[in-house]
Amino acid sequence: MDVGTERITFWFGCNMLRHAEMIRLSIMLLERVGYNVAAAGGPAYCCGTAHDHQPHGASNMAARTVARFNDAADNEGRGKVVTWCPSCHMHMSDIMAPGNAAAFEIAHITELLADRAERLAPLLQTEVKRRVLLHRHAGLATHVAVNDRVSGLLARIPGLQLVPGPVHPGHMCSALAAVPGALSKATRETWAAAGAGSCDTVCTIFHSCHRELAALEGKDGVRVRNWVHLVAEGMGIEASDAYLGWRTGGAPDIAAIERADEARYRALVEPELRKPSPS
Amino acid sequence: MTKLQAARAETTEAYLALAGPELAALCTACGACFGACPMVDHIGLRGGADPKAVTDGLRRLVRGDAAPKETIAWVGACAKSGLCVAACPQRDAGLDAMLLVRIAKQAALNATRQLPAKQDPTAFPRIKIFARLQLSDEELEKWM
Repeated sequence: MDVGTERITFWFGCNMLRHAEMIRLSIMLLERVGYNVAAAGGPAYCCGTAHDHQPHGASNMAARTVARFNDAADNEGRGKVVTWCPSCHMHMSDIMAPGNAAAFEIAHITELLADRAERLAPLLQTEVKRRVLLHRHAGLATHVAVNDRVSGLLARIPGLQLVPGPVHPGHMCSALAAVPGALSKATRETWAAAGAGSCDTVCTIFHSCHRELAALEGKDGVRVRNWVHLVAEGMGIEASDAYLGWRTGGAPDIAAIERADEARYRALVEPELRKPSPS
Repeated sequence: MTKLQAARAETTEAYLALAGPELAALCTACGACFGACPMVDHIGLRGGADPKAVTDGLRRLVRGDAAPKETIAWVGACAKSGLCVAACPQRDAGLDAMLLVRIAKQAALNATRQLPAKQDPTAFPRIKIFARLQLSDEELEKWM
């Protein structure tokens, strides 16, 4: 495959590491529209947004991450950092950059793909016969019109019928999880809208929504897919979704569990995979 | 594309210490941000709290003073919906209401200690296990 010449860093954040296929699909899509992609994420690239109770530590994390991106800009010509996570995007814009000299600009992945949609369009040749409810949140619109961008991308997939869902509070589902009742209300409203719209699929935009809604796969006959899965389907690529499989009763391969450290898997990961669904 | 601001301080901690009082000075405690916030319904404060008193609490927190319990409940429930930003009549003067709420929340956590710190020491170890379950050695080496 041709690799583009414009060099970017794809900053996928921390929690997207639950969804490796979504990272790989994102990289593939960026490459298909002409970017040369270096991916970066995990705790070593933490933005610090989840550490409000540790302002000094959060400040150090932000400085480290900006310094790494500055190095990539200076030494590798990667002067654009492409975000996935709305928390990371807003934190970089509002707090990290004003507190650290940044030698790069940022853009959300949906902006880059929408701006080069003419390159994506010829690749979307496979009919995707789904009626899709888009699970949306109000947040990030202050920075990126992400709901419109994703809608625009999905509208290019042949055969796919798109139904705009209710706009929920917060920037993604994890933000609602800390407020009693808020996440389950958003989930109920999403499923009610899917039913009212005769949808067979709920499409998530962000990883944390996908994480929360994955446990509801198949409820009322409704499937859960992320927008990158659907774009890939339109390209004829049947993308797997390991996390969704694990969250609905499956388990990782034993060899993978042993490689990851079985005791830590049992203590840290299995409880998350077996917790009750949000509604 | 989001154009990044030029740095105004040498650390984010220093920037927030600078920005908080600036934003608080622009705030008139009119209550518009509170009125626009969808999380107010989730915490049972719609109609039951004085928006002006709640938003005056933001200014108090940024000064390091204790705020009313309604303000604490509200900043603690902030889910970054961002609707407060457009609702703020001082926006054109430079007031980013969401950032003011964020800084007030940090003050409630760390200065007045009216909000309990929610620490999850297992968050990063859990993410690393998820990564090792799924990523190849090459991906682990290159991406993380």
